[in-house]
Amino acid sequence: MTINAPLAVKILTAFIREELTKAGFQKGVLGLSGGLDSSVCAALAALALGPENILGVMMPCGASFTGERDDAGLVAKHLGIRTETIDIRPMVEAYFEKRPTDDRIRRGNKMARERMSILYDISARDRALILGTSNKTELLIGYGTIHGDTACAVNPMGDLYKTQVRQIAAHLGLPERIRTKAPTAGLWAGQTDEAELGMAYEEIDLILFKLVDERESRKDVVAAGFEAAKVDRILGLIRGSEFKRQMPPIAKISTRTIGHDFLYPYDWER
Amino acid sequence: MLIALAQIAPHLGNLKKNLALHLETAAKARREKADLIVFPELGLTGYKLRDLVETVALDPGRAPLLRELKSLSREIALVVGFVEERPDEKGLFYNSAAFLAKGRILHVHRKVFLPNSGMFEEARFFAQGDHFGTFPSPFGPAGMMICRDFLQLNAGYLLFAGGSEIMITISAAPGRGLAGEKGFASSRMWELMGESMAFFTTSTVVYCNRVGVEDGMTFAGGSFVFSPSGRLLAQAPYAESHLLLAEVDPGAIRKARKTWAWKRDDKPAVTLNSLQRTLLHHDD
Repeated sequence: MTINAPLAVKILTAFIREELTKAGFQKGVLGLSGGLDSSVCAALAALALGPENILGVMMPCGASFTGERDDAGLVAKHLGIRTETIDIRPMVEAYFEKRPTDDRIRRGNKMARERMSILYDISARDRALILGTSNKTELLIGYGTIHGDTACAVNPMGDLYKTQVRQIAAHLGLPERIRTKAPTAGLWAGQTDEAELGMAYEEIDLILFKLVDERESRKDVVAAGFEAAKVDRILGLIRGSEFKRQMPPIAKISTRTIGHDFLYPYDWER
Repeated sequence: MLIALAQIAPHLGNLKKNLALHLETAAKARREKADLIVFPELGLTGYKLRDLVETVALDPGRAPLLRELKSLSREIALVVGFVEERPDEKGLFYNSAAFLAKGRILHVHRKVFLPNSGMFEEARFFAQGDHFGTFPSPFGPAGMMICRDFLQLNAGYLLFAGGSEIMITISAAPGRGLAGEKGFASSRMWELMGESMAFFTTSTVVYCNRVGVEDGMTFAGGSFVFSPSGRLLAQAPYAESHLLLAEVDPGAIRKARKTWAWKRDDKPAVTLNSLQRTLLHHDD
């Protein structure tokens, strides 16, 4: 589980620099929540492109989570990156005013997609590419909103488990507060990932690492001492969220079809 | 002899549901008094498995699922497609076909030609088989091929030279190209090969394809049976589930081989000789 943090930072900063410059961009933009993942992503991007080329967009919903906003400001200051604050409440409320719901998931997803929509607009406005902040843990268990927080141009974080992101954060010397606070998706007040998932990230990551990286079977993981119910829960989450990790299937009709047998590299002639 | 072709739509990665589908379809074929039922390639597992391959692999010697099919084969002979992993070849997964009759597995063929270009990526996930064998079946000497095997000229010839009188191909061929008037453009090549192989090997050619959709690819169906004189005996519709029945005349092989002497005049020694010479100058 433990990784060579300095080498990981070297690889990820090179990745950000190459992917952006090959696509003809010098600047990056990302949503800055004040949480661990976006803070680490911002730090990597600042190292790769220079802090002056990174814009952290803070997108609170009304007056809630003021603590989060403070933390995001703290990180931005620490890294020396530019920031912009946009309250998404008017847009989200404009929609739900006429279609009221108490469904926290629907409200949360709407918020995540509102933020995505803003980031893509800023991307066009500033000629800056969007850096994704979803980590491997979230992506594998589907703990994210499709076309919301998972939407991005490139994702430097997607092969790092949550606990490995913490390792990188420590190596990069991010403020203690950011590194030790309880992770939250920020979809409603008091929400924490671990309460919602019913497991600590340390445990989720260990189970995922065995199942995914080490290709162990359910039986092996249970035999290694993990609770069967938890392993099954995680397997179910992985299986149930594959649609979030792929482009939607295109119905093949012709002799050459996008995604089936029309296959070009993402970095086509760059 | 009555052959049933189960043009089914298997469930991707779900052995249990697919076993149920096989049992249910075999029961229908039995009610029709079929002697043999042929299922499509990877019918017990679904086709686009990718990393699911290892989770659905079966040991032909021990898998309870195959034991169930073995006992069913006392009532009706079966050809089924599955992922094979044997205890003495751990971690090697084969795209295989098993011929079951009289309570036993009579033969297992491992797909030799794994398509790995265009939309196909089988060689990323499967190990390849290394021969085409003819085996005695209750319906005469038989040989099996899996999908792309059928389209490689040498596969049909090797079964012909080996003495096969019935050539059974199981397939999971996607349909593509809608510019033609009839079916998919890609269906034509299977039919062309089916007719040619039947006529030029004077053998019964059975081709069972699947239907359904997986990850955006639609399987073409259009399963068929050609007689040893190259006559189309029966064909299933394209892209819909169907149980195709074909009455095969056991006397047709003798009649065809009396008329067309391809088998009598075949010279495997010349083939071998020529191949050896070719291999001497072959780069790989």
